Amino acid sequence: MEYLLHILILIGIYVILSTSLNLIVGYTGLLSIAHAAFYGIGAYIAALMALKLHSPFLVNLICAIILSALFGALVGIPSLRIRDDYFVIATFAFQVITFSVLNNWVSFTGGPMGLPGIPQPVIWGLEISSPIGFLILVGIFCTLTLWVTRRIVQSPFGRVLKAVREDEVFAQAAGKNVAAYKVLVFVIGAGMAAVAGAIYAHYISFIDPTSFTVMESIFIISIVIIGGSGSLWGPVVGAVVLVVLPELLRFIGLPSAVAANLRQIIYGGLLVAFMMWRPQGFLGEYAFQGKETRE
Amino acid sequence: MSLIAQLLIYGVLAAAIFSLVAVGFYLIFSIVRFFHFAHAAVFTCGAYSVFLLNARCGLPLFFAILVAVVLCSLLGCAMYLAVYRPLRRKGTSSLILLLASLGLYAVFQNLISLAFGDDTKTIRTGAVTEGMNLLGARITSIQVTIVCFSIALVVGVWIFLKRTKIGMVMRAVADDLELARVSGIDSDRIILWTFAISSALAGIAGILVAFDTDMTPTMGLNVLLMGVVAVIIGGSGSIPGVALGALFLGLAQHLGVWGISSQWQDAIAFIILLAFLLVRPEGVLGKRVTKATV
Repeated sequence: MEYLLHILILIGIYVILSTSLNLIVGYTGLLSIAHAAFYGIGAYIAALMALKLHSPFLVNLICAIILSALFGALVGIPSLRIRDDYFVIATFAFQVITFSVLNNWVSFTGGPMGLPGIPQPVIWGLEISSPIGFLILVGIFCTLTLWVTRRIVQSPFGRVLKAVREDEVFAQAAGKNVAAYKVLVFVIGAGMAAVAGAIYAHYISFIDPTSFTVMESIFIISIVIIGGSGSLWGPVVGAVVLVVLPELLRFIGLPSAVAANLRQIIYGGLLVAFMMWRPQGFLGEYAFQGKETRE
Repeated sequence: MSLIAQLLIYGVLAAAIFSLVAVGFYLIFSIVRFFHFAHAAVFTCGAYSVFLLNARCGLPLFFAILVAVVLCSLLGCAMYLAVYRPLRRKGTSSLILLLASLGLYAVFQNLISLAFGDDTKTIRTGAVTEGMNLLGARITSIQVTIVCFSIALVVGVWIFLKRTKIGMVMRAVADDLELARVSGIDSDRIILWTFAISSALAGIAGILVAFDTDMTPTMGLNVLLMGVVAVIIGGSGSIPGVALGALFLGLAQHLGVWGISSQWQDAIAFIILLAFLLVRPEGVLGKRVTKATV
């Protein structure tokens, strides 16, 4: 039962992460490999505040969101000047720098030793300590994320995002401030990722930089793409599939070291297979058909 | 004085490795126009093939290296034939190819982890030597070998592109695929050649690194990223540009950490990259082109 709850909580965290990345990748068409960085920034801000300032969970959460959103703007700004593959490299760069800071600024982040002993969150005098409590917390934020995303993509704002994805020049010609939209979508996406980070930090009660690597970013992007980029429920389906599928390996009795590798082989393989045969994923509407390569 | 000399040597050494990976990456990029991230897996494959053939199977070292380079070459070609070519036939965007290459990288890196374990493996034999003295700094014979090999191979590839028939055809395909095809060039064969040569270079780089600092399954990605940075800051337009970018990056990384911890090298490299992308995206030697926005 504990195990089942743990899986459900993980699914919830990845739903938040992939839904927020979907806004950037699926709806706006900006491929970003920096989502684990925002996730990590959120987790570290929340954890450091809880450990050093003993501030309540909701305050930590809000600070994590704000700071991560600021970094989101920082990553969004290069998207105005560089595009496609080069933008991917720029987000890659941000991911590597963030990991490097988390790993090397030992006096502040604890370095590779991580931050142990993050306290249980207390919300309005209510301490959340049981897995059930965390599941409810994750569930609430999941629903909130999906609701906000739905509101965004159905609003005129969301339609402009899709216009930017389909034809940036046209959107600009139609009088839309494409630059502002791109930066703003990064701000929103990064803020949402920080929510997942804060919940994760308080749930696991220990964080270290290895949870926020390039591989983690690739995992989150796999969820979005396999589930279906540019669709509201796509990332939810992707998160369920990609979190549950590797867990099944445990039941055939593989040692955990092997299972960790197999998990990455599975999502790497799925990513290749989906790119070859179904680039829009299970439910998606966007298949990265921007600039065509020659041949 | 000796500290500066030592940092310079490390910088040149890093540049030697970066340029081998970068030249291969650049050759592929110039022809197929996407970022082949799985190149990092080919790099790692080189090191582990030598480990498997030499340390595990007992093949003579020279023979093991030869077979390993051929294996890497074949791996690169196999990736192209199995994944990239079908995708390109469908006319997909470069982002899809990039994502597929990330997937390929994840698969191969973890296959190596599964087969050999995550711990450090070594193919070095004999005791660790202190190395020679050069201007008060230390350099080992393997490090000298790395630099010599790298210079020879990069210059070799440059001459190959300039002087041989296949090299010229490769440049023609890179320049304008349609035109090359109209002129009766079998572009598919040329792309295969490119993957074969580039992957062999990556494999050699991996083997050289393994002789210097051992190997782990994740060793490839970082070196590849540095190679990509070298290509971008070098101007992604020519082999000398790429080599110059690698040299600049290697030196900046090692001299930049003077006085601070060497763990910040990655951060330095990527801050340089971001600065270049924002201020001078065409690189040091590149020509400024008007950006196509559609």
